[in-house]
Amino acid sequence: MILTVAEMSFPTGWIPPYNTLVVAAGVASVGFAAGVVGCFAVLRRRALAGDAAAHATLLGVGLAFLLGGGRRDLPLLLGGALSTAIAALLALVLIGRWTRTRDDAATAIVLGVSFGAGITLLSGISARGIPGSAGLEQFLLGHTAGLTAADAMILGALSLLTVALVALFLKESTLVAFDPLFAAASGWPVTLIDYALVVLVAVMVVVGLPAAGAVLVTALVVIPPVTARQWTDSVGVMLPLAGLFGLVAALSGVAVSSAVPRMPTGPLVVIAASILLTISLLIAPRRGGLARWLRSRRTVAAWAEGRLLEVALRLEAQGPFTREQLLAKAPGVAVDSAFKRLVRSAAIEPVVTRAGTDAWRLAVWGRELAAERSRRLAAWTEVLEAAREDARGHLTIDVPSPEAILGAARMKAIRESAAAARSVSGPA
Amino acid sequence: MSTTSAGLEFHDVTVAYGRRPVLWNVDLTVPGACLFGIIGPNGAGKSTLLKAALGLVPLAGGEVRILGAPLEQVRSRVGYVPQRESVDWDFPVTVTDVVLMGTYARLGWLRRPGPRERSLAAECLDRVGLADVADRQIGRLSGGQQQRVFLARALAQQADVYFLDEPMAGVDARSQERIFRVLSDLRAEGRLVVIVHHDLRSVAEWFDAVALIDMRLVATGPVAEVLTPENLRRTYAGRLDVLDEIGRAVAEGGRTP
Repeated sequence: MILTVAEMSFPTGWIPPYNTLVVAAGVASVGFAAGVVGCFAVLRRRALAGDAAAHATLLGVGLAFLLGGGRRDLPLLLGGALSTAIAALLALVLIGRWTRTRDDAATAIVLGVSFGAGITLLSGISARGIPGSAGLEQFLLGHTAGLTAADAMILGALSLLTVALVALFLKESTLVAFDPLFAAASGWPVTLIDYALVVLVAVMVVVGLPAAGAVLVTALVVIPPVTARQWTDSVGVMLPLAGLFGLVAALSGVAVSSAVPRMPTGPLVVIAASILLTISLLIAPRRGGLARWLRSRRTVAAWAEGRLLEVALRLEAQGPFTREQLLAKAPGVAVDSAFKRLVRSAAIEPVVTRAGTDAWRLAVWGRELAAERSRRLAAWTEVLEAAREDARGHLTIDVPSPEAILGAARMKAIRESAAAARSVSGPA
Repeated sequence: MSTTSAGLEFHDVTVAYGRRPVLWNVDLTVPGACLFGIIGPNGAGKSTLLKAALGLVPLAGGEVRILGAPLEQVRSRVGYVPQRESVDWDFPVTVTDVVLMGTYARLGWLRRPGPRERSLAAECLDRVGLADVADRQIGRLSGGQQQRVFLARALAQQADVYFLDEPMAGVDARSQERIFRVLSDLRAEGRLVVIVHHDLRSVAEWFDAVALIDMRLVATGPVAEVLTPENLRRTYAGRLDVLDEIGRAVAEGGRTP
């Protein structure tokens, strides 16, 4: 029924056929859900467990194919995939509990063994030329071209279901991911919530199989959350943002692969996701590499300039000073370039002025800057003595204004407590 | 609230990791409404004793009673401050988010914190002096501030018995004083505060009673009676540098500059 309506509403040729649209919508929701569910895999540091589960899916696909008598029925194959994915997670839990194997080694073992078994089984099936087995290797790297609208609807529905579950239990999941010890002490069934989250990750890994394949589907679960984390400091924002990044990655991967015949979708999805990640790692406002680099550069420059002004103020007591004198008194990184900046900035608002061929003195503005800096330093010293934590949390070498950072009210309180401390410990 | 019975009882509590005992037959009764210190050297099983009380480690034997009842019956009246290093401070939550977690147990499944919980959280943050950083991501705080966030979260639990695991670790003197003030207020309100602590110099100044622990219970009772050179020697056997320091602290009546 829906099909007929859809076909009637889009009769013209340039609109993608109904099947393509449904598959696109399905893949979009898979990408979205993978990003959302992946947030907790990343925050709870369970990303590798998800990878082991993903690699175990191939074995399940092969087994389900044989059990189903060679039918390529997607729900059946995914059911098989889910059961071996969960079996792999169970194996991880058991190895952790009953042997003295470390987590990372256990993960590598389960991943390797289950993947090896899966590949062996699928190779055996395809070597025997069992009818219908031709497309099974598509689960290795992902291939959405063969998806029917019905398949895509199942994938989409499962995705939306997992997103709904995460949204419903957001409070509980965040608590357990952040502080499992506190959660357990206040009576929450931490193990149950933990397992539920890992099973959700396994479900997403299975649902993501057609789009990204067993080898790469973890990337779809892990990369979007890490990307989202660059842009926000709040779980509530991180989840939908990761979903959005996952959606974009999945859709663009599928779109490109549909244009190139026989191109698997998994690698393309991962490439799309990693492009978003790289951009975010570089340009995200606070955590991004560029921002960090600029921040540290600006800080060091401001420190060097401040240091120069401080020295210049002292030198000036004996009249104009030379560049050499200045640099000798303020040895250290970037002082030379800081001096150049001071001279250059003279064009706008004179900081230092020339008093001869190599003789300089501070201009009015320069003297004011230097005085302001020493005032700030003195204020910070006071903060350091009266409220050490505030100083340690906020003082940077560029000597920012303590009032601007701590607030005028807080500074007043600190000053008062410092004065009180002085009157107590000072000479009677 | 006030309790007529003991606040916290350990009866023959033994905890083992594998075959190695961590706590051996600890028999300890803590009265209600006091600041109680659990003191001992590193690896003495102090944190394990706390975790045993909170049901976070399985007991090999013995039982724990809180406010005269098993833990399951009084869980909502118990507050907890874990060690600061036990969580990832880069986690994407704000100070207020963390404090609100103290209200989750009372809210139960699915219900989200509302205006009442938010105003409680704000009040708790105010008590520990963190009102002005309420919206900051928790990683952008100093160690002492992080510790106070945990304390505020415990306050939001509105408990009658509080367990704190090394709340003064990595905390400067002023934060320490602030935390002790809040804890003293809790005692004044009739609550029991049990603190795993290792800085012996501040013990006499703040605590009412202590237990000296080194796998087994060495001594327990009021600070003045328990912190004797003989007891300390038995607890810190072989750690002479520590002993000297403690001896001096005790000789000066606990109050050291």
